[in-house]
Amino acid sequence: MHMADALITPAVGGVMLAVSAGAIGYSAKKVKEELDDRKVPLMGVMGAFVFAGQMINFTIPATGSSGHIGGGILLAALLGPHAAFLVISAVLLIQALFFADGGLLALGCNIFNMGFFACYVVYPLIYKAIINKNFSAKRITAASVSSVVIGLQLGAFAVVLETLISGITELPFGSFVLLMQPIHLAIGLGEGIATAAVLSFVLKSNPMLLDGYQAQEVTVKMQSRKVVVILLAAAVIIGGFVSLFASGNPDGLEWSMEGVAGTAELESDSAAHNAAASLQQIFSFLPDYGFKGGSEENAAAGTSVSGIVGGGITLGLAGLTGYLITKTKKKKVKCQS
Amino acid sequence: MSKLAESLNKIQTLEELSDGITVLHRIHPMAKMITTIFFLVVVISFDRYQISGLVPFFIYPILMMAIGEIPYKSVLSRLVIALPFSFFAGLSNPILDRQTAFLLAGLPISWGLLSFFSILLKTVLTVMAVLIMVATTPMDQLARQLVRLRIPKVFVMQLMLTVRYLTIIIAEASSMMNAYHLRSVKQKGIDLNHVGTFMGQLLLRSYSRAERVYLAMKCRGFNGEYHFAQAHAVRKSDILYCIGLCTGFFIFRWCNLSMIIGRLLGQ
Repeated sequence: MHMADALITPAVGGVMLAVSAGAIGYSAKKVKEELDDRKVPLMGVMGAFVFAGQMINFTIPATGSSGHIGGGILLAALLGPHAAFLVISAVLLIQALFFADGGLLALGCNIFNMGFFACYVVYPLIYKAIINKNFSAKRITAASVSSVVIGLQLGAFAVVLETLISGITELPFGSFVLLMQPIHLAIGLGEGIATAAVLSFVLKSNPMLLDGYQAQEVTVKMQSRKVVVILLAAAVIIGGFVSLFASGNPDGLEWSMEGVAGTAELESDSAAHNAAASLQQIFSFLPDYGFKGGSEENAAAGTSVSGIVGGGITLGLAGLTGYLITKTKKKKVKCQS
Repeated sequence: MSKLAESLNKIQTLEELSDGITVLHRIHPMAKMITTIFFLVVVISFDRYQISGLVPFFIYPILMMAIGEIPYKSVLSRLVIALPFSFFAGLSNPILDRQTAFLLAGLPISWGLLSFFSILLKTVLTVMAVLIMVATTPMDQLARQLVRLRIPKVFVMQLMLTVRYLTIIIAEASSMMNAYHLRSVKQKGIDLNHVGTFMGQLLLRSYSRAERVYLAMKCRGFNGEYHFAQAHAVRKSDILYCIGLCTGFFIFRWCNLSMIIGRLLGQ
């Protein structure tokens, strides 16, 4: 679907070049904002990877035809939309210069058809929406197949429009669309499946490479933090409950139950913050709560505090033992080897 | 030869060519860029039925190919890629537009046939023009000019790095392909079931290579800046080259040289 120079007029080529140059300027600005100079060689190598990857054909069973991976969505899923757009533009420029795959004046059209739609339309609206910060093989497959297919459909449609506006071909709009769209539906399905396979592999082997996975990593961390919070809360409840039960004062129990319920429900990005905040609340609030009442309440609070402290020390000891065990085990392995 | 090895070959040939020492190689890259773009614009600005006006434009690529010592084989291999798309996009023209334009030795030539050949001619011309530019100018010099044209540096830097690592990653992919094919006799591509692992493996390898590249660059003082090769200062000959050729294209655009010569012969 790389357009050649011969298929467009200077006006169409010029307008599309201007549009794509604008988009490159925008994405370059965005990339610079978030740059991390580690990303510089990564973008270069990824461009080379997509280049090489598109030359590796795979066989589609039962059809006898072959396909290759799609570029835009794969790059966006790995590098984020802005860096991906720069990479795909560079790849298209190199293809035009080195292989005559797409023309130089048609470069603007090609960048728009294959880069812009993939990185700035389909990736945020479809891919990200389907993934919805929940990376699983199923979601990645659904997201990449549908976004590659839709991206190619948009691109193919743009090819039709650009060619027709240029007035180069005699094909009427209807039959041109009927010719282009189904072909690219088939190509898109092939590319989509391949892209999904690659991304699923990445998810299995090194999910940190996926764009946006960082956010999920936080929630994963949060989950382990959640476990810690729940365990802590359990220690607090049990320690507090037992001592409070002895003192016959249920208020403290109700209060800590609320606190636990509050932390257990958190799932959003800021969940970690919230969890930390409520933990803080537990620890800073408790002495305040415990020691403000009369002498009888005071005594009850005193016992629950001792229960909490005791629970904390036990947990700490258990943690330390676990740590020591793993450490000695590691040492043994080292000695053996 | 596999597609990978073939393109590796192409890139290497092109790099060797651009390293040449002909007069054309010594022209300032900016002069060549402007000339090429101007040529492309002029060629595709011809209306869809134009053929005779396009033919004189072959003078430029033919002369430059000779001066720049560019083998015609490389034109052919590029046309193999560029032509099919133009061919199929133009194929409908002779079928749908059958109105006779004129008679050529008694044979009716339709408008559709004219526009079809016009597309093909334009394709060949534009492909040759771009080839002449890249075969006589090293890539880093072109990149340097892009920076001068205010193309964002991040983009140009990443373009250069892609070019640098292209051959390495292709070679890596090629050896993986070899290994795969040695284990799966008589299979054409890669089995769909293995695409994920195969491409994923290549991806991880590329990724860890990027890490090593980054560390190596860091060791050599990389701070986010990429330094481009300086081209020599603009000389009179560069300006003359650029203005002379562009004027030539301009004249050819407005005076149909084929017609003029034809009429002269007719008289």
